[in-house]
Amino acid sequence: MAETAIWYNAGVESAAASQELMAWHEEFEAAARRPLPLRVRYAFIKTYRPVLDDEPFRAFDRMADYRAWCESALPSWLGYGRV
Amino acid sequence: MAAFEYRQAEEIRDAFARHGVRYLFIGKSGAILLGFPDTTQDADLFVERSPGNGAALVSAIRELGFDLTDAQAAEIVRGKDFVQLKNGPFDLDLVFAPDGIERFADAWDRRVDVEGFSVCHPDDIIASKAATNRVKDRESLPRLRAFRDYWASRRQD
Repeated sequence: MAETAIWYNAGVESAAASQELMAWHEEFEAAARRPLPLRVRYAFIKTYRPVLDDEPFRAFDRMADYRAWCESALPSWLGYGRV
Repeated sequence: MAAFEYRQAEEIRDAFARHGVRYLFIGKSGAILLGFPDTTQDADLFVERSPGNGAALVSAIRELGFDLTDAQAAEIVRGKDFVQLKNGPFDLDLVFAPDGIERFADAWDRRVDVEGFSVCHPDDIIASKAATNRVKDRESLPRLRAFRDYWASRRQD
């Protein structure tokens, strides 16, 4: 019974992954049909990001410094923290 | 500040060419130029670290309208690993040492030309994002890897 359930779940997950991949491919095909200027227009957005957007200039000696700053200074929901 | 526009990508390309700056679009902005359908906020540039390239870079970005003090310009010329510019007509991230890529020269050799834009190879973009290991990158990596495979298969056709 347990084995059947595992097999069934694996099959469902595999089908879902396959469907997701097909959906991505459709998106890639659609993007490939758009001229570059239009792709850029669709892709770049601007929303205010607290802290990150509050200074006109920042420079970090090392990437590790930047990563540490992101973890300590930015709201976690922005997604800049490490996994 | 408004969103980054294609015209501004052209301005980067043209100004950097005039000043002889060696750079590559990287990150999601690079992937988008390659055809990856997604959204992002900033343009990210991987810049070769050398005194000459740093000086050329400062001249180019000042020409683009970025308001740099002499101290800020000096930090860019020195090639700090990461510089975030929000003092110009659009937001720009300058990366001199992206995670996951050993040397600029290697990425330069693998670069892809997209209608005159020099862009990191998708493998380098993925390597950089994977090494960074941020929450937001981890979420987008499976789709980006699928795009890399799609992009490579189209190149072979």
